[in-house]
Amino acid sequence: MLLPFFSWCEHSWIGQTIQGSVWLFPVIESIHLVGLGVIAGAVLIVDMRLLGFGLRSQSAEEVAANARPWMIGSLVLMVASGILLFLSEATKCYYSFPFWFKMSSLALAIVFTFTLKRRVIRQNLDQRYPLLGKATAIVSLGLWFGVAWGGRWIGFS
Amino acid sequence: MRLHESHYAYPLIESVHVWCMAAFFGLALLFDLRLLGWTMRRVPVSEMSRRLLPWTVVAFVVMVLSGSLLLFAIPLRTYQNIFFRTKMLMLALAGLNVWIFSSRVYRRVETWDLDALPPRAARVAGALSIALWIAVIVSGRMIAYNWFDCDTQPHSAIIRSLAGCTTPDSRN
Repeated sequence: MLLPFFSWCEHSWIGQTIQGSVWLFPVIESIHLVGLGVIAGAVLIVDMRLLGFGLRSQSAEEVAANARPWMIGSLVLMVASGILLFLSEATKCYYSFPFWFKMSSLALAIVFTFTLKRRVIRQNLDQRYPLLGKATAIVSLGLWFGVAWGGRWIGFS
Repeated sequence: MRLHESHYAYPLIESVHVWCMAAFFGLALLFDLRLLGWTMRRVPVSEMSRRLLPWTVVAFVVMVLSGSLLLFAIPLRTYQNIFFRTKMLMLALAGLNVWIFSSRVYRRVETWDLDALPPRAARVAGALSIALWIAVIVSGRMIAYNWFDCDTQPHSAIIRSLAGCTTPDSRN
């Protein structure tokens, strides 16, 4: 059902331009990778704090408030560069298990981060229930790692 | 070397390399951004250093080990890869920046530990660090796409000499 749409994406002007260039795909992929590093730092520093590592003398709320603009900014950069990469090989993605795995993990990770995790941190629930804070961090790390695993494996499939 | 032909080993090692890069760069970046006064402005610089840098060291060690395996899987072709050479140069410059920062600027950290905006020398070190690590990541990603490969001719004389090509120039 979605295949005609994926095929249309690949035959779009943007998809064809990236496909026809030797350096456009690697350059966009590099931007995507730098974004990966930024988002990893912004997610890790908060989850590490919830697990009791890293900036332990600051509250999780304080750490998260500082990391949030970098997390959201890098997420925007990653989605934008990711859409460009997708356009150039949409048909391959359609048949790729890692691609669907990555998109499902990404949707879950975004929903979890901006609903449950946000609530735990905003209401300082991690201070009253340390186990809840740790569980939140582990789910968050698991979901984001799923995104990273799928992302790297699209290229190998 | 068999590593490059292995069905799982090469992709797995490359994945570990990328994931360690993300953890290393992300945490190092937060420290550099603190030096620039762009995040965690109320957290002492020494606390950022003490709490975060040990993790970056662990990620860096795993990254060097996995990176060495990737190099030894495809040694000659990589050695003659202009992007690999760029990456090693940027890595050396990034290391030099860390050395200058820790041996000069950071030694007097107690005088500016709580500054929301650290002194100029610290900000310069932070900005240089971010720029150099981005250069390492970008040139690293290009290694696999090398469109200046010595075997895909022709290239200009300057590219051939920078890449250390030993194959005869196809234009002769």
